[in-house]
Amino acid sequence: MNTTPRIEVFELVVRYGETTAVDGIDFAIAPGELVTLLGPSGCGKTTTLRAIAGLENPYTGTIRLNGETVWASGRGPKIPAEKRGVSMVFQSYAIWPHMTVYENVAYGLRVRKISKAEISKNVARVLDMVQMGAYANRPSSNLSGGQQQRVAVARAIAFSPTVVLFDEPLSNLDAKLRAEMRVELRELQRRLDITSLYVTHDQEEALAISDRVIVMNAGKIEQIGSPEAIYNRPISRFVADFVGSANMIEGAVKGVNADGTMVFETKAGSLIRTAAGKRDGTTLALRSSYIHLRPDAVNAIPGTIHRRMFHGDFIQYVIDWPDGQLIVRRPPTELLDEGSAITVSFAEDHCVLL
Amino acid sequence: MRSFDLRGWIVPILVLIVGALVLYPIAFLITSSFNIGDPQIFPPEEWGAGNYIRLFEEPRIIGNTLLVATIATVLAVVFGFVQAWILTRTEIPGRERLERLMELPYYMTPLIGALAWGVLLGPKTGLGNQAWRSLGFTSDFFNIYSPQGIAWVMALFEGTVAFVMISASMKSMDPSLEESSRVLGASKLRTTMRITLPMVAPGVLSATIFVFAEMLGSFAAAFVLGIPGRFYVVTTAIWESALSYPPDYGHAAAMGLSLFGAMLITLGIARVIMRHGSYATITGKAFRPRPMDVGLMRYPLMGIAWGYIAVAVVLPLAALTLTSFERFATVIIPQMQFTFANYEMAYAMGSLGPAFANSMILGVSVATLGVPVIGILAWIIYRSTMPGRVLMEYVVMIPAAVPRLVFGLGLLWAWINIPIPIYGTLWLLGIAYFTVFLPLGLRTIAGVVLQIDKSLEECARVCGASWAQQMRTVTLPLLRPGLVAAWLLIFIASVRELGVSVFLMGPHSKVIAPSIVNSWLTASSELSAAMALLQTVMVFIAVAIMFRVARKVTGTTQ
Repeated sequence: MNTTPRIEVFELVVRYGETTAVDGIDFAIAPGELVTLLGPSGCGKTTTLRAIAGLENPYTGTIRLNGETVWASGRGPKIPAEKRGVSMVFQSYAIWPHMTVYENVAYGLRVRKISKAEISKNVARVLDMVQMGAYANRPSSNLSGGQQQRVAVARAIAFSPTVVLFDEPLSNLDAKLRAEMRVELRELQRRLDITSLYVTHDQEEALAISDRVIVMNAGKIEQIGSPEAIYNRPISRFVADFVGSANMIEGAVKGVNADGTMVFETKAGSLIRTAAGKRDGTTLALRSSYIHLRPDAVNAIPGTIHRRMFHGDFIQYVIDWPDGQLIVRRPPTELLDEGSAITVSFAEDHCVLL
Repeated sequence: MRSFDLRGWIVPILVLIVGALVLYPIAFLITSSFNIGDPQIFPPEEWGAGNYIRLFEEPRIIGNTLLVATIATVLAVVFGFVQAWILTRTEIPGRERLERLMELPYYMTPLIGALAWGVLLGPKTGLGNQAWRSLGFTSDFFNIYSPQGIAWVMALFEGTVAFVMISASMKSMDPSLEESSRVLGASKLRTTMRITLPMVAPGVLSATIFVFAEMLGSFAAAFVLGIPGRFYVVTTAIWESALSYPPDYGHAAAMGLSLFGAMLITLGIARVIMRHGSYATITGKAFRPRPMDVGLMRYPLMGIAWGYIAVAVVLPLAALTLTSFERFATVIIPQMQFTFANYEMAYAMGSLGPAFANSMILGVSVATLGVPVIGILAWIIYRSTMPGRVLMEYVVMIPAAVPRLVFGLGLLWAWINIPIPIYGTLWLLGIAYFTVFLPLGLRTIAGVVLQIDKSLEECARVCGASWAQQMRTVTLPLLRPGLVAAWLLIFIASVRELGVSVFLMGPHSKVIAPSIVNSWLTASSELSAAMALLQTVMVFIAVAIMFRVARKVTGTTQ
């Protein structure tokens, strides 16, 4: 099996005049992988994507696609967008309003001078894949947002590109449709084994669909890892805060136990046993979903329920405890009244020192 | 890499051709403006700034020009804006028909308008003033032979240009921007003031600048209505300088170039302002503008829309028609003597047929060859990252800033002084028309270019299309409304062209407008009315045919 990375980015820097949008980043994407660039707006994720597509000229660095250098600083090659063989789904969908659905999807095949029969076979296949087969001959100017999105995806995969880039493709859809399309996109990507780089600012989306997530902030990469690793073992305050819901507890490490766990003393004097993260960390990141509201053997600290919010899929409690307030998420079956005295507890594995 | 070669060649060749067409006559103008020796010798034997110093000896002409152009621009933009808003954003009865009729004033031409309004409101003899006096008043209702009168006529006909440009930007505005304002509790008036106006402001601004430039270079109305009262604006002063004996080309060129400098500064400021506004209102999310419901207001609004058509088209044409059939122009019924003599005379002159055919040939070929070229120019200037595109925009816009008549002079000298024997042929007129209509085409197409979301083009590239393929399959089709508008505007501008034609037409390349001017200068107003009416009818027939064709083309592909 060919294991050459589909996309490789080395020391990429992109500047707009004086501002540096992307500030020296490196990563590689293996065949068949779906990797997400996650970060707040302005972090450089879309710029990175556009540089890979060939729509943005980097300042320095190297970009390789399928082992071939498509852009390198200095005298290196500068392959234009249309010769890179990548495909892209745009945030605005970029559906050409003057063409029918069929013409939109056939576009990438037509410019490749493929026979008419082959084109219509391929277009029918991908339109069926995105469940738009019945719309082939519709004008594209009065499609709904979800339909435009499907056409945009069909168009992007129609000419069998080796790499598909997604620029916040779901951000213009409503929540329910977004959740559905997320599943469909992942399904499609798995089925066709399409190597994908996906840009989003929605952490939930990033965790749900990715093989790996690249968290970006201010033009730099904060962390690269599987969704589980990013969620369970954030390596910076930014990642812990941006991805998922976490409590940040200030304090300092007091000592190390014989079994290698550390003792963390909070500002208010509570002692917490922790097994993850940096030894010299001064902040403890604690996921809201990993806190129990029952006394357990380790890390049991008394508190009271200040506020309860029923979200349906979970209940969010605001707990008063010695170090201020804790956000705790419990399944909807664990219904407790506001004002009740409780004991919070959490495993030492789930406290990450930052 | 074939596509890159294409792009690599087309662009510099276009830049060179367009640059030469525009700058070559300008170079001649500049040299002769500094010529203080014998004005008919090229290159000049004596150099100096005397021609410019003489401008300040007659500040009245500059004052007159600015006065007329300002009044006329304000009026024209108001006409254009009100009509554009009513016809694109409100639901009035017969909206589509009105929108088609809005083209009519432009085809009328200021020359015909001026003749008609001269017939209508000339002092004492004007039909309107005759009627006014017959009601017992001792003075005129209005003297059209005045700065306000000239501005009025210019504004009526330039209002359509403003309308076309402003309505193009209104049509492509996302109605949800207005709706969200309404939902947030703003009244219709407030929404119009706070949302609609700022959104269309760039379109209105670019229309205003363009109209002002046209006004400065406007010749016909000031000529027909200003000369009798010895009220001169720059263009008529240039005409007088150039055609008096001995001709004072240097003085004419100095006047024209001074105006041109002022316009360059104005366009520069406008450019800075427009760069700060966002134009990307056509996004990949396709939408259709929805007109707003104005309730019972739709009847007064419909009245306003029809009122403009009546004043700009129906009234002048009625006056011309009446006059052309009379022995002496009058509205006093007992004095009327009807006759066909004026038409018989026009026919007998025998020059009208060839002039009309020549104008049609020129209009079709200049528009057909010009639109693709200008379309590519617009794309280079507003979309590409090519170095020098800012300079390029200035070069292309120069003919708008240089008064038409002066540009005509520059073209005359420029083409007489090169060893290609095209002076006095239609070729020269065609080249000249293309050059002077560059800004008209560029502005019209630019309005659409600026509003096409960039990702529509980028997507084509990512899909594997070369630059040329992207232009052919995505950019040009999206530009089509702008391109069709530009074709129509250039065709019509060519058919009615006067300022350049008076210098460049020869005995075997006569065109319509100068022929009518000759008649106005040398024969009666009744005869001129007959010729003007014939021209208008012919142009209207041509336009009707063309519209039918255009509708068929756009109808089948959509």
